Amino acid sequence: MSGKRLTGVYFAVYSNGSECEIDIDQLIEYTRQIPGIGIIWNGDLKQTMQADFIVDEIKKHNLDRIVLAGDEPGIVKPLFSKAMVLSGKNPEDIVLAGFNEYSIKSNKDLDRAKAIIYCAALGVPFENVALPSEAEVHTDTLVIGGGIAGIQASLEIANSDHKVYLVEKTGTIGGHMAMFDKTFPTLDCAACILTPKMVEVGQHTNIELMTYCEVIGVEGVPGNYKVRILKKARRVDLADCIGCGICSEKCPAKTVSEFDAGITLRTAIYIPFPQAVPNKYLIDAASCIYVQKGKCGVCVKVCPPNCINLDEKDQEVEINVGNIIVSTGFKVFDAKRVENLGYGKYPNVVTSLEFERLVNAAGPTEGNIKFRSKDKKENWIFSPESDEPKSVALIHCVGSRDENYNKYCSRVCCMYSLKLAHLVKEKIPEAEVYEYFIDMRAFGKGYEEFYERIKEEGVHIIRGRTAKIEERDDQLILRSEDILAGKLIEQKVDMAILAVGLEPREDAEELSKMLGIKQGEQGWFVEANSVDDTVGTFTGGITIAGVCQGPKDIPDAVAQGSAAASRVLQSIIKGKVKKSIKDISLEQIETKVNQYTNIMEGIS
Amino acid sequence: MSIRVNPGFIKELTKYGAREWNACFHCGNCTAVCSLTERGILFPRKEIRAIQMGLTEKLASSPEPWLCYYCGDCSENCPRDANPGEIMMSLRRYLTSIYDWTGMAARLYKSYAAHLWFMIFLFLAVIAAFVVFSRIPDSPEVKLNTFAPVHIISLLDHILLIFLGSFLITNIINMYVKIIIKDKTVKIPVWLYFKEAWNAIFQFATQWNITKCQRNNWYWFGHWFLFTGYILMFVMVIFFLDWFQTEEIHPFYHPQRILGYYVTAGFLFATIYFMIGRYRKKKEIFKYSHHSDWIFVVLLFLLAFTGIFIHIFRVNGMALPTYYAYVLHLAVEVPMVVTFVAFSKWSHLAYRPLAIYFAHLKKSARALQEKNKIEFVTQ
Ligand SMILES: Cc1cc2nc3c(=O)[nH]c(=O)nc-3n(C[C@H](O)[C@H](O)[C@H](O)COP(=O)(O)OP(=O)(O)OC[C@H]3O[C@@H](n4cnc5c(N)ncnc54)[C@H](O)[C@@H]3O)c2cc1C
Ligand code: SF4
Ligand code: SF4
Ligand code: SF4
Ligand code: SF4
Repeated sequence: MSGKRLTGVYFAVYSNGSECEIDIDQLIEYTRQIPGIGIIWNGDLKQTMQADFIVDEIKKHNLDRIVLAGDEPGIVKPLFSKAMVLSGKNPEDIVLAGFNEYSIKSNKDLDRAKAIIYCAALGVPFENVALPSEAEVHTDTLVIGGGIAGIQASLEIANSDHKVYLVEKTGTIGGHMAMFDKTFPTLDCAACILTPKMVEVGQHTNIELMTYCEVIGVEGVPGNYKVRILKKARRVDLADCIGCGICSEKCPAKTVSEFDAGITLRTAIYIPFPQAVPNKYLIDAASCIYVQKGKCGVCVKVCPPNCINLDEKDQEVEINVGNIIVSTGFKVFDAKRVENLGYGKYPNVVTSLEFERLVNAAGPTEGNIKFRSKDKKENWIFSPESDEPKSVALIHCVGSRDENYNKYCSRVCCMYSLKLAHLVKEKIPEAEVYEYFIDMRAFGKGYEEFYERIKEEGVHIIRGRTAKIEERDDQLILRSEDILAGKLIEQKVDMAILAVGLEPREDAEELSKMLGIKQGEQGWFVEANSVDDTVGTFTGGITIAGVCQGPKDIPDAVAQGSAAASRVLQSIIKGKVKKSIKDISLEQIETKVNQYTNIMEGIS
Repeated sequence: MSIRVNPGFIKELTKYGAREWNACFHCGNCTAVCSLTERGILFPRKEIRAIQMGLTEKLASSPEPWLCYYCGDCSENCPRDANPGEIMMSLRRYLTSIYDWTGMAARLYKSYAAHLWFMIFLFLAVIAAFVVFSRIPDSPEVKLNTFAPVHIISLLDHILLIFLGSFLITNIINMYVKIIIKDKTVKIPVWLYFKEAWNAIFQFATQWNITKCQRNNWYWFGHWFLFTGYILMFVMVIFFLDWFQTEEIHPFYHPQRILGYYVTAGFLFATIYFMIGRYRKKKEIFKYSHHSDWIFVVLLFLLAFTGIFIHIFRVNGMALPTYYAYVLHLAVEVPMVVTFVAFSKWSHLAYRPLAIYFAHLKKSARALQEKNKIEFVTQ
């Protein structure tokens, strides 16, 4: 090769307006000593940077290649391409060293930043040299979270004859999907799809189902993790309970039912719902009178197989696994935060999740849509005796796409709102249904057609966000602007359903720290690559699936469950798992790059 | 009818303080959350749309920006942080400058330096006038009417009034032409003008619309206090100066003194409330300040401040300090009146009720047209 090809390195750090936590000066210092660097520009120039200035620089320093380093350096690429063309160089000789792409966020990741700059400067693809070493793999797998994503992953692995521990926080698996009556866009019965899968998990010989359990500690390396699990005391023997429910009939302690999204009451000894897996009762210590005050014990007396032990204590167990799949799902946005919409103030402003339970045949009104009304004790309840609402409004984007709450789109609420609109029309055909949206996101297969179908069913679909809900004379009044008609609307309705968005769980941060995986700006777990590796993480042996990675619907959550399982099976079949690239040191990468360039020079 | 689009309009409007005009994704939340919108009178989203598309003619014919009292509800609730309230404020500044055919308003609004220098020039001019024409009386007692004879000051007042009044009136005519005459989509029957007039008068006297934004009662009070104080001062200075500026010192319960105190209290209350708010920037409405806001508030404050000193010195018989304070008082008052009455903030006092009047005229006329159309169809 004739003469050395010189490279210019340009540092551009935008960090989306938030402060950059990476010490650029250190990176510049490091870059100086890389061979073949002609000039380094600091991104402070970004305001003044003009194509002709770069052209001059290219000529002055005799540059052949350009490296653009920074969090999203692609932004300035067009400018440099132009300059390369103008100075008669090949615009293909621009290489990006993007920090975001490799999840470099702070000074902790400085070595990785140096490594990608080194690779870019010497023209060696990072992926070709950053080959994580491999470790022996333990063939058992831990799945955290038994929603549809976790169920899918567990079954795929278990069906390949490998052992799975499925750890679920609540008393049953099923997650949010178990709460729904129908699923969009086919309006399939949710339980008809989910229940057989849940039963399969419960009976599978390769699955050790650990409900009412939590992961409290993870140690070890990819391929061999030691996991500590807290078995919360159920106080009912799983093996002996016959699920007769006599205990619950007699239990005097009442509290709100989590499964019914808070719209009904359950007893302290309870089964989350009739099809729960495992189909056994458990005692919720927080509401049990015996646990709290030391007296009661009624359930013990009536239990036919005598399987209740009120003094059972929490236990800790330890398991060894090679891979971990995280599928902990989401929680819904707390609608009380949007004061203007009056949730929590007006009884017939309900959340979508509450409404899912109301229209569910197993809900408090056997699936009939009824007003929330006062019972004899002045509590607001949904009772089968109340009247049916004659007009219902659905309000999109509650807590989503909003700078004041969550900026992102929750992705499923447009579609589930259409589904709920359909369910209202199906149950009360003469009801008027109004749906207020900003943009209709009907992105999936058959979704646009579903939207058309709902429109044909006579639902009034109005473009315009509802800004406030007020109650006058027991009548809800919605205020919004009908953007397309250019009108201000004050719509009277009987019931308003808020399409609340999806949010990361409260314990997501704790879990991410325990597992050594990352959380993005919004709290969702970060995937290894947002395009071609949405289930991997930067920590070898740990994969993510379902909504915990970001909002998605059931088909996508299931697909990710399968993808995560296939990742795990790969490593089990090979007997090896890739260690984390975090474990590769900068020196190792530099050595690899140097070997690589030597070989390339030998060839040319 | 063709619609003319002005692609450079955004650049123009940013000089009047508009910022996040492009963030808006047209959800309509602002229009719906605003307590002042009603059927047929929609803002701020529609105006933001017009801004984004560069529809300057449509904006010029819109009275809506004047209906907003900048309570900040819309900005607080905007899901895109587009700050619609501030956009409405900048539109009002823009509209003021297009009603103004002299081009003065535009110059003052668009350039901080021009505004400031113009004020300083007038300030110095007033002082110079006193230095040249006025003699300090040879008496240890306060002889304000010898130092600045009431009839001369009053005469100058009237000249200024006629001068600025003619600007303001021609600007108002211009506004009428732009909003009513040039808008060919609506025809207003003459009788409607009378029917809607009472509403406009009521609005002018009470500034009542602000209270519809329930959360901001102090804001309304500040506004109203300042407004009544200003009108009183205006009337006294223009028509009753010889009653107001006397040598004789009346007892403190005398109407002359009570009125003076009222005006001063109004000015001080409003300016301190606004200054603290603008400084802290906590409330949505105070987050952004255009230079004209600052100049306005500071001048008002100085006006009240110097007024208080004239009073203190005069009551205590301190002749020389009284004269100096008086000169400063006028040196602040003149620039304030000259720039703000016809070209800036104070002119809003005239534009706003008129715009409310025009908006309702148009709304009623449109409703009539709609009705006629339907009748026509059913015949
Ligand atoms: C009102 C509403 C209606 C919807 N309707 C539809 C629809 O019709 N069609 C559709 O496709 N999608 C719909 N969705 C979206 C659907 O709910 C999700 O796509 C789906 O539930 C995602 O499943 P998941 O397994 O990822 O999460 P989840 O269903 O949330 O399951 C997560 C599981 O993990 C458990 N868990 C959480 N943290 C821990 C922990 N630390 N340790 C152990 N276990 C833990 C939870 O208890 C839960 O069982 C709807 C969503 C809402 C809010
Ligand atoms: S001991 Fe607890 S669970 Fe059992 S009946 Fe009493 S309150 Fe219910
Ligand atoms: S899916 Fe629809 S309702 Fe949900 S946040 Fe996105 S746009 Fe809003
Ligand atoms: S300014 Fe904000 S609230 Fe108003 S329409 Fe635009 S995005 Fe919605
Ligand atoms: S600032 Fe207040 S009055 Fe003005 S448009 Fe916004 S909500 Fe309406």
